[in-house]
Amino acid sequence: MSLLELDTVTVRFGHGARTVHALREVSLAVEEGQTLGLVGESGSGKSTAASVALGLRAPDAGEVRFDGRPLRRRRTAGEMQAVLQHPMWALNPRMTVAASIAEPLSVRTRDRAEVRARVAELLEQVSLEPAIAERRPHELSGGQRQRVAIARALITRPRFIVFDEAVSALDVSVQAQVLQLVRRLQAEHGFGALFISHDLAVVRYLADRICVMRAGEVVEDAPTEAFVAGPTHPYSRSLLEEL
Amino acid sequence: MSLIEIDDLVVEFRTPRGTVRALAGATLHASAGERIAIVGESGSGKSTIGTAIGALLPANGGFAGGTVRVDGVDVGTLDRPGLRRLRRETLGFIPQDPIATLNPTMRVGGQLALVVRDLGGDASRAALAQLLEEVQIADPADVLRRFPHQLSGGMAQRVAIAIAMARRPRILIADEPTAALDANVRREVLKLVFEAAEQTGATVVWLSHDLDAVAKWCRRVAVMYRGRIVEDGPTASVLEAPEHPYTQSLLAAMPSRLRRGVEVRTYTEMLASQAGEPDDAEVGA
Repeated sequence: MSLLELDTVTVRFGHGARTVHALREVSLAVEEGQTLGLVGESGSGKSTAASVALGLRAPDAGEVRFDGRPLRRRRTAGEMQAVLQHPMWALNPRMTVAASIAEPLSVRTRDRAEVRARVAELLEQVSLEPAIAERRPHELSGGQRQRVAIARALITRPRFIVFDEAVSALDVSVQAQVLQLVRRLQAEHGFGALFISHDLAVVRYLADRICVMRAGEVVEDAPTEAFVAGPTHPYSRSLLEEL
Repeated sequence: MSLIEIDDLVVEFRTPRGTVRALAGATLHASAGERIAIVGESGSGKSTIGTAIGALLPANGGFAGGTVRVDGVDVGTLDRPGLRRLRRETLGFIPQDPIATLNPTMRVGGQLALVVRDLGGDASRAALAQLLEEVQIADPADVLRRFPHQLSGGMAQRVAIAIAMARRPRILIADEPTAALDANVRREVLKLVFEAAEQTGATVVWLSHDLDAVAKWCRRVAVMYRGRIVEDGPTASVLEAPEHPYTQSLLAAMPSRLRRGVEVRTYTEMLASQAGEPDDAEVGA
């Protein structure tokens, strides 16, 4: 049984003649502790797939299952998290780093000491100095902000995390650091991940399985090794040749 | 004599937190018709070097040492009319975010007409459409009527290229022209930039952080780190056998070269772990 499954999901925007299919009978699955890489150009439906997977948008047709049961936001609170492209937009500019990281947990527990301990633990896990806890987002570099966003996502010990273009806005060397961090944290925490990127090289490094989307449809879905060895769809082949 | 001669250039910015040195003695020469890529990360000074060629630094920045010569003329000594002439007749800029640099209140046709009329050219609809056709816009008549916010990123960048190339500049400075674009549009836009430059014989200075793409388009690459050019040479040899440790770490961090189980560290981290702090780019406080 997969951790998260999209089963022939269709999402439409607009009405009548102006209807656009953002997703057209998309099926994909994220396994426990594994990473599914989702690749495609702008407008291919990657981010819509992510919001459906997180339960933020109900599909027009098809089903989303978490742990084998139909996805209900309330039931999965804290078990799903997201790390987005621009941490500046994901972090409240008026909150300190410590408060931002603590927030998902402090709304669930009254045990202040536990929250403080977890924040300290997570800062260390994402390789940030303890002194950073008292700073605000504008005082951090892009890489530091993304580490804070990752720490915030991990504090509730989620079983599933969506990374939506989470390293696209970072410089190459910072990007490499964050990618290595995600791999290490996944090995330690064992969360399943949906890693969305337009950069196949990034996805190839992280993902156990690669899924290629184009115009709202999945055109290829294969284990990373098989994908790299020989994708079947011409579009996937052209992506691979770009590398 | 080279077309662009940047010698030991120091550029400083005054900020509320003190003076920040963006260029700390950068040297770079480029001949007419050359294609050169300047590679570096945020804050390395590559945009500053790009703008310094046209003395287009923001108001709080200025030359604090060294010289920039374009075609033998010291840019730092030019008066306003001289600078305007240089920018108008010699330089073309392609920005990172084309939608933000186009005038949001004017239709594409109107903006193109401004450029063309200024050059004494033919600003008729047909001539403007022709300009857009040259940058491979499929439906030029329709695009001429649109406002910048009605364009896709790739299309806006094509319009920006058409505007830059309309003057037939001798130097084309492209500041990460594809950073905001999709992978597949990226290749088309780069092809367009370099083909246009080839036709007019323009020297291209391309500021980028994408080493993979640099390898495809430029024979020469200069690597910047903390306001200096730390390595400069033929792209093939720089990518195959980088001499400077910063270039080595940059190459190792490229996503296409990342390998599972092989730890990559940043150059700054390596320096910090070796001996104290690296020499800081900030002067005073």
